Amino acid sequence: MNEAQLLDELVGRFEEPADWDDVLRRAGARRLPRRRLVLTAAVVVAALAVGPALGVLLTRDRGPRLPSGADRSRIAVVLSPVTRRVLLEVAPWKGHDGFCYLVVPVRAGCVPRAHNTVVFKPPLFGWSFDKRIVSGQATTLSGAHVPLTVKHFGGRIDATFFLARSRLVPRLLHSVTLRDARGRVVVRLR
Amino acid sequence: MLDELETLYRAKLPEFRRVAAAIAGDRELGRDAVQEAFASAVRRRRDYRGSGTLEAWIWRIVVNAARDARRRRPDASASEEPATNGHAPLLPLDLLTERQREIVFLHYYADLDYAAIADALAISSGTVGATLNAARRTLRQALEEVQT
Repeated sequence: MNEAQLLDELVGRFEEPADWDDVLRRAGARRLPRRRLVLTAAVVVAALAVGPALGVLLTRDRGPRLPSGADRSRIAVVLSPVTRRVLLEVAPWKGHDGFCYLVVPVRAGCVPRAHNTVVFKPPLFGWSFDKRIVSGQATTLSGAHVPLTVKHFGGRIDATFFLARSRLVPRLLHSVTLRDARGRVVVRLR
Repeated sequence: MLDELETLYRAKLPEFRRVAAAIAGDRELGRDAVQEAFASAVRRRRDYRGSGTLEAWIWRIVVNAARDARRRRPDASASEEPATNGHAPLLPLDLLTERQREIVFLHYYADLDYAAIADALAISSGTVGATLNAARRTLRQALEEVQT
């Protein structure tokens, strides 16, 4: 007989099944059944995920609307080329030489006709009364050029509007360049 | 943490039970000692600081529980000295000290290396190696004498 045989004879192998529940009973630990645990976790996750979203939906401000001074019989719009949702609403300003605008869903106002070019951000949006403008682009801090949507509305509005299709652009904005039909720079805003 | 303990319990239960039974000197006491050891680990799981492996921490608790079980036996005669009492021992293992036996059991039944045994018993690896060699030598001699 050698050591290994001696030790094998001393204590044979255990084949009895494990009893973890007995361990927990002795420990006084309570454990939820796995299915109940999963269900509880799912309910908690759902409450955490849906609760705030529901709260926002129920309590959120719908944001600015086209001002009441706007002539709603002559509203012009710019649609997103991708989603076809309204990005911009413009209408003549009743009783004034100017227009009212709504950049959905963040900014609205009425402005008198002037000779300056105005740009807001974010989102990148602006207008000009210079009729030569037909295209524009924004330049980011990294040097990338992002084309702008440019739209001229005639009639009583008689102004050219430009806006970025992406909301990321204004955060990194370096300059805005507006050009005429020949590609010449009409306005450059930094 | 509770999941890790359960995983370890299920993965190494035969080894824990065998070592505990060998130390306690009784199969049923060993089985019970392991259950008590894990129950204690569940209760004290926040005490585990992560300074060593979780398995080493559990082994320490299991070994202590098995020692306690052995001491509570009605015929307990645990001693750091070999159990000869001037008489010829009945079994070669009786020639070993308690520490030698524990190291032999952990090495043979649980297949732990020197470092793991050192962690489990809170001693140095060098002590484990020296103690194990001495224990083997004693066992080999005793077995040779029995056979001759």
